[in-house]
Amino acid sequence: METLLYLTRRLLQALAVILIVTIVVFCLLHALPGGPARGILGPQATAQQIAAFNHEQGLDRSLPVQYVYYLRDLVRGDLGTSYTLNEAVSRLIEQRLPKTLVLTVLSALVGLLLAVPLGMWQAVRRNKPTDYVITTLSFVAYSTPVYFLGLVLVMVFTQSLRWFPSQAPQGDTLAQVFADPAGLVLPVVTGAASMVAVFSRYMRASTLENLSEDYVRTARAGGAGRYAVLFRHVFRNSLTPVIAMLGYYVPVLFGGALVVEQLFNYPGMGLLFWSAAQSSDYPVLLGCVLVISVATVVGTLLADVVQRVVDPRVKEGRV
Amino acid sequence: MNDILEIDGLGVTFSTETGDVPAVRDVSLRVRPGETLALVGESGSGKSTVALAAMGLLPGTARTSGRVEVDGTDVVGASEAELARLRGRTASMVFQEPATALDPLTRVGAQIAEVVRNHRAVSRSEAAREAVELLRRVGIPEPERRASAFPFQLSGGQRQRVVIAMAIANSPGLLIADEPTTALDVTVQAEILDLLRRLAADSGTGVLLVTHNMGVVADFADRVAVMLRGEVVETGPVEEVLLRPTHAYTRKLLAAVPRLRFDGEGDTPAPDAPAPAAPAPDARSADADVPVVRLRDVSVRFGRGIRAVQALDGVSLDVLPGETVGLVGESGSGKSTAARVALGLVAPAAGSVSLFGTELGRTRGRARRALLSGVGVVLQDPVASLDARMSVAECVAEPLRTHRRGMSAAERRERVGEALELVRLPRELAGRGPRELSGGQRQRVSLARALVLRPRLLVADEPTSALDVSVQRTVLEVIAELQRELGFACLFVSHDLAVVQEFARRVVVLRAGRIEEQGPVMSTLLRPEKEYTRRLIAAVPVPDPVVQRRRRAARRTGAAT
Amino acid sequence: MSGRVEAAGRWGLVAPRGGAANGQGPAPLGARFARNRLAVAGLVVVVLFLLFCFVGPLVYSTDQTHTDLTQVNLAPGGAHWLGTDAVGHDQLGRLMYGGQVSLLVGLAAGVLATVIGTLWGAVAGYAGGWVDAVMMRVVDAGIAIPALFILLVVSAITSPGTPGLILILGLVSWLVPSRLVRAETLTLKNRDYVLTLRATGGTHGRAIRRHILPNSVSTIVVAATFQVADAILLVAYVSYLGLGVQPPATDWGGMLSAGLTAAYSGRWWLIVPPGLAIILVVCAFNAIGDGLRDAFDVRGRS
Repeated sequence: METLLYLTRRLLQALAVILIVTIVVFCLLHALPGGPARGILGPQATAQQIAAFNHEQGLDRSLPVQYVYYLRDLVRGDLGTSYTLNEAVSRLIEQRLPKTLVLTVLSALVGLLLAVPLGMWQAVRRNKPTDYVITTLSFVAYSTPVYFLGLVLVMVFTQSLRWFPSQAPQGDTLAQVFADPAGLVLPVVTGAASMVAVFSRYMRASTLENLSEDYVRTARAGGAGRYAVLFRHVFRNSLTPVIAMLGYYVPVLFGGALVVEQLFNYPGMGLLFWSAAQSSDYPVLLGCVLVISVATVVGTLLADVVQRVVDPRVKEGRV
Repeated sequence: MNDILEIDGLGVTFSTETGDVPAVRDVSLRVRPGETLALVGESGSGKSTVALAAMGLLPGTARTSGRVEVDGTDVVGASEAELARLRGRTASMVFQEPATALDPLTRVGAQIAEVVRNHRAVSRSEAAREAVELLRRVGIPEPERRASAFPFQLSGGQRQRVVIAMAIANSPGLLIADEPTTALDVTVQAEILDLLRRLAADSGTGVLLVTHNMGVVADFADRVAVMLRGEVVETGPVEEVLLRPTHAYTRKLLAAVPRLRFDGEGDTPAPDAPAPAAPAPDARSADADVPVVRLRDVSVRFGRGIRAVQALDGVSLDVLPGETVGLVGESGSGKSTAARVALGLVAPAAGSVSLFGTELGRTRGRARRALLSGVGVVLQDPVASLDARMSVAECVAEPLRTHRRGMSAAERRERVGEALELVRLPRELAGRGPRELSGGQRQRVSLARALVLRPRLLVADEPTSALDVSVQRTVLEVIAELQRELGFACLFVSHDLAVVQEFARRVVVLRAGRIEEQGPVMSTLLRPEKEYTRRLIAAVPVPDPVVQRRRRAARRTGAAT
Repeated sequence: MSGRVEAAGRWGLVAPRGGAANGQGPAPLGARFARNRLAVAGLVVVVLFLLFCFVGPLVYSTDQTHTDLTQVNLAPGGAHWLGTDAVGHDQLGRLMYGGQVSLLVGLAAGVLATVIGTLWGAVAGYAGGWVDAVMMRVVDAGIAIPALFILLVVSAITSPGTPGLILILGLVSWLVPSRLVRAETLTLKNRDYVLTLRATGGTHGRAIRRHILPNSVSTIVVAATFQVADAILLVAYVSYLGLGVQPPATDWGGMLSAGLTAAYSGRWWLIVPPGLAIILVVCAFNAIGDGLRDAFDVRGRS
């Protein structure tokens, strides 16, 4: 009952957030020079053409009314049509999103699998050389622009060592993507680097905090050895707040994908977005923003729900 | 029979950023099997450090010298692996804070089973069965079901029972209890002490009980060691030390303990007790019968929907000019909420609040502020009560700045100095920061701030419960004296019946947001009408082992009938 | 966190309660900061880079407006210590020149974001109730839209100059500081000294001015430091994607973008210096933030 109530509340909150996002996107759409009409008809269109188009599309109505129509289209899954690719934006995203998801999910997994043990190790070896070295490395990893890191990796692993290709797997289907795992290595590593940096810091802080909790002393007073305490108790308690941070990391992952895809020429949503930015293809741009924002909201929601399942104490989902 | 714990010439030094700090010096103690030794002292006396040293649980910044032997095994020089074999099997420990002592993400049954399996090669299911049995032994109802509960699903008392179950899982020869009941309500404290006493008697376990509470000592201990600044100053059987103390410090400590008077004890007033404050003559003016605080049918709810908590339910009370009203009750009874309603910090869902005859809910802006300028406040936490970024002078001057805006800096300085002297603090303290003061000094600065405008009402929410008894005594005396001088009324919130009995004239007993009973202190606390109040009083341990033994027996038979 | 962690000692055992109280207050802020060697190094790096970018051109003067097609793609050495780029600009001089934009935009945008975030978070936290709920949903929405995407859309609509870039960056990155300040305000407004002030007729204005703002300063300063680091990175991304300041002006990100193809033909001096400059400066600001957070003993980004 309590969980149901919580889920309802949390869902309503998420819906409110998505609604605000649509308002922002809608405002951006109308902030375009000349409005959507100029964008769609192109710079050569005459004033009459624009007026006729506006009337036909209902763009001469008041903004709130237009917003309602915009929402109605969204609910139907209609995100408009690309100027340059002449295809429905929803179709384009449908094709590209799975590939971006493969990239981001793999990066996140690799990142977490490295970050969690690193952070714990740092906490255990607090203020020892290990800790300082990893801390410095994670500062550097966090501070390196993703594309610079990618570039360096390409220079080292493609040009000098010739271990991995500099191009990500091409092709339209996921099967084709997975058919070339070597091509995925550099993009995934590039995407995971800053994730390792950020999450090893979280994990270190969280582990340190838990190591000073009273229950550690209780467990040791019961005769548990140091590593038993660490793995049986501290690990789980430290991991839960870190999981909660994952939701908020979704937009950063997508931001990273944007750069990584452009750098390795990986035909995902990031590349779609980048080329749309080059050609001022506004429907594609805004469609992508909307989809990514919804993905973030869903990600945060999932992280909260997972944390609630893992951590029975979390009675109230504090956002 | 050999001693289960033998400490000889123990010294502990902590290395800190500012150099080495000795915490314990040349302490020697012995605990025999089946015997309880109480280690008492005020904060900073080093009593907890001794307890942790006996378990080898001191932090890495500590350096230990001397000899500590548990059942013949040396602890000081032992390796981590040797200590792990010892802990939880030969010697166990119960900690102060049941709220944080258990792993929040592990079911309590599993935590107990873990201690079993740390030391004995039994199967998982066998350990789980033992855990249920242990929960039954420590008096947890429905242990089969409770074993799969998470700590947050249990009350504070039940959690402490779980910690105790973990401690006795391998029938240790020595049980170290570090302030095991300090975080609990008195009625729960009495139950936990009963449990510990029974378990120790059943198995012949030696107990080292660390506490600051002389009542608990009288209730539980066979022998007592008194610590002062890292050293043991007096040791002896409990009757000797509590009734015929030889060391000056022990005498001072015992004199500072507020003593509960109860029916049947004989009406001898406690030594040095400040007489209940009588209303000052000038308070008996024309509006003497207009209460300074009046709550009428006040209800407060926190939260919404199914999680809502009824914090107060139809509470009505008056505080008359110059009078002190004690608000008592266990945690969650709503006593602090009631004080906050009177201060206008919590708006009641129903009912009305009046200050000095004016309804608070109907005033706004300037009028409301003027009304509140007649109120002084002292809250519980000495650290959180003062803004660490301000000097003492700025803290005390704050009410002057809000309500006497035209006042010159020189006059303000003078008023601050007066207020500091009023609370027996030197004027020179004005330039210091709160961080440089002790807890008792901070609470007196809070009091100076509360009184700088000469209010007609002082609201004090547990003003001394974070302080040591000797400091508590001083602060209470200062408040009582000032009340006689200045004639303000006082709404005094406390969980400590003995303090309220000494300090207040009338008492209001709250229970789960409702008023259980109220009346003059002397009749209500000596001859309570309600069973709840009787139980509350019976649960308070008094610092006299002979009397306390009688009270305990009476409470048992009372509970049996 | 760190206060408790300090006490944890070897492997997370808390010092006994009421055990060793050393009677002295904590060491002064400067001393606590100085103890963090990474943070001190960060401070030194930032100062050196400021000198390099703003004083450097006075010593090492180069022409960064005109192209010189006779001096194209020269390797380091001779008159050009770090070589020249594809249009003949001296690379060392360009590093100073581009650094001015990167540092200026980063600092200004970081401060702007912190100011906006502080005001928003303080109002939400202090007001509470539905005001807080609505304001925080707006923040959630802002966080849900990746800043890089919004930046690209906005840059696609208008091509901003330096002030525009600062404004846009500030407007997309105030969200994290607003959440930190809100959390701080929520705690502070329930501190006993604030409750005491309000219960004795103190105004909200006084509570905010005298207690809440001064006590949030440390959180705000720490947030601002991290914000500057992030803003410098963000500028680099925007410029890399070709939407930053327009030539002949440049910044470190723009230099990287221009040198991108050169990397494959072995002209490392067009890529490595601006890349290292970004990493060093961003690292430095992060290290300073970390040191300040420990010195102030406040919670913040880990």
